[in-house]
Amino acid sequence: MNGNGLTIRAEKLGKWYGNVLGLSDISIEIGPGITGLLGPNGAGKSTFMKLITGQLRPSIGTVTIGGRPVWNNPEIFRRVGFCPEQDAFYDDMTGREFLAGLLGLYGYGPSEVKERADRALDFVELTEAADRMIRGYSRGMRQRLKISQSLAHEPEILILDEPLNGLDPLSKRKVIRLIKEYRTEGRTVLVSSHVLPEIEALTQSIVLVHQGKILAEGDIHHIRGLIDTHPHIVEVRTEDARKLAVRFAGEADVLSVKFDEAEGTVLFETRNRDRFFERLTRTAAGEDLDIEEITSPDDNLQSVFDYLVGK
Amino acid sequence: MPTAPFLAVYRFSVKLVRRSKRTKVFVAVAALPVVLALILQINRLASPGLNLDGLAVFSNVVMGFSLQFLVLLLSLFYGTSVTADEVDNRTLTYPATRPVPKNAFIIGKYAASVSFLLILLLVSTILAFLILMVDRLSYGTAWAFLGRSLAALSLGTICYTALFTLAGTFLRKSILFGLFFCFGWENVVQYFPGTTQKFTIMHWLKSLLPGIEAGMGPSNDGTGLLKFLLFRHEPSPVWAAILTIFVITAIFLGLACYIFSRKEYLFDE
Repeated sequence: MNGNGLTIRAEKLGKWYGNVLGLSDISIEIGPGITGLLGPNGAGKSTFMKLITGQLRPSIGTVTIGGRPVWNNPEIFRRVGFCPEQDAFYDDMTGREFLAGLLGLYGYGPSEVKERADRALDFVELTEAADRMIRGYSRGMRQRLKISQSLAHEPEILILDEPLNGLDPLSKRKVIRLIKEYRTEGRTVLVSSHVLPEIEALTQSIVLVHQGKILAEGDIHHIRGLIDTHPHIVEVRTEDARKLAVRFAGEADVLSVKFDEAEGTVLFETRNRDRFFERLTRTAAGEDLDIEEITSPDDNLQSVFDYLVGK
Repeated sequence: MPTAPFLAVYRFSVKLVRRSKRTKVFVAVAALPVVLALILQINRLASPGLNLDGLAVFSNVVMGFSLQFLVLLLSLFYGTSVTADEVDNRTLTYPATRPVPKNAFIIGKYAASVSFLLILLLVSTILAFLILMVDRLSYGTAWAFLGRSLAALSLGTICYTALFTLAGTFLRKSILFGLFFCFGWENVVQYFPGTTQKFTIMHWLKSLLPGIEAGMGPSNDGTGLLKFLLFRHEPSPVWAAILTIFVITAIFLGLACYIFSRKEYLFDE
């Protein structure tokens, strides 16, 4: 099916759960291509996903797909596919029955249901396991089955809520490849995640959500640039802590060095993380330093958001 | 040819109902009248002098077990599960993100539960009847009694399942409410004198049974359990009973559809 540039549009969208704010004043237009919805847990990503798939009713504002409101408009779902976050299935069914049952809800006849189910199972590489009970599937297989039910009717808009959650690296790569393959022909794909590298692997176009609001949106390099204006913290565990600290103390982009000889750790604060890592690798190799572990205690999404909101 | 949304939901739900773990348990419970009938007949064959009034036993089973217990229990668990199971298992997202109107979802799932329960109940009741009446199958009144019993059981299932479908759409603890309603309200208020008993569904169902207003069948000379169950029952006309049951069923289902189409279901993450 060829997509025709169907867009998701939210205008002044807000959602409260009683007195608790879920989402506030969201105005955004999401068009063809892959868009990453990025935010820490509890940021409002799932609320946004549920609002644009008509599972929740906006408290204020509007959300439309192709110009039509989503709430109580089931016909929208002929053109939209949704993969939920929760690992929930009808466990007493086989993968094929699950897909066929849900495809039946589109009103397709038996032969079309079979054909589409086979194609979707093949796409997510579950053909061999299709006739096994879902309760016997691994996490990766369940995740792929969930994705297959969202795209079996070949929607123009595909919405995936944390599709990489809990997957091993191999399954993650598989799912990322599937999502990228699906993007073709002007389709719109919206993927949420709380893990920055996952989104980076999928798309350059991201929307940052934090505390129910859009913090930034656009190209990932722009967001990275915002982040890079703040210092990064890198912790290195090594037996040569003092020596390493001395090597880096004089570098212009290193703002501070703290070392704990008893623990065998050095804590660096740097303005240029890439240059720092490049130098660290060169130094470790050149001077035969025994580095046991490198961690970035603030290199996570929460820290990124903390920087952006000025905490 | 495209399938109507209601039919599509119905087909999907029948499969779910048939496969569910609870079905295995309730099939066993529903088979109890058959097991009881078999035991009694085997006992009679083993003791030639023993007199077994098959119709009296059957009427006791229908009134004391099937109508006042089994129908309530099955309707409660299958009616509330129409939406509550999907919410508790967090699977509601799947049908909720398909091109299926919410009314079709409720009605399709309700119809799937009711049709399954009707097959279960009717097969169990007919088998129990045939076993108990095996030597008196030419007894015409018995067949009439069977017919009206099946009607009462069917209408009871249709009506109670609709009520519990409604309860499942808006109550978090719908099973608790159902247990209170079935074994509190229904089991007590039906024995109140005057018009108060008409506030129970059971009053209308009992009005369908023979021997109460038509002077037919074994309940006229009922003793023991049957006498207790019909205590203070002031039957309404059959036509009024049928009409009332259909009207309240329609109201329950209409309300369930209305609430389901307006309510947002949040899952416990």
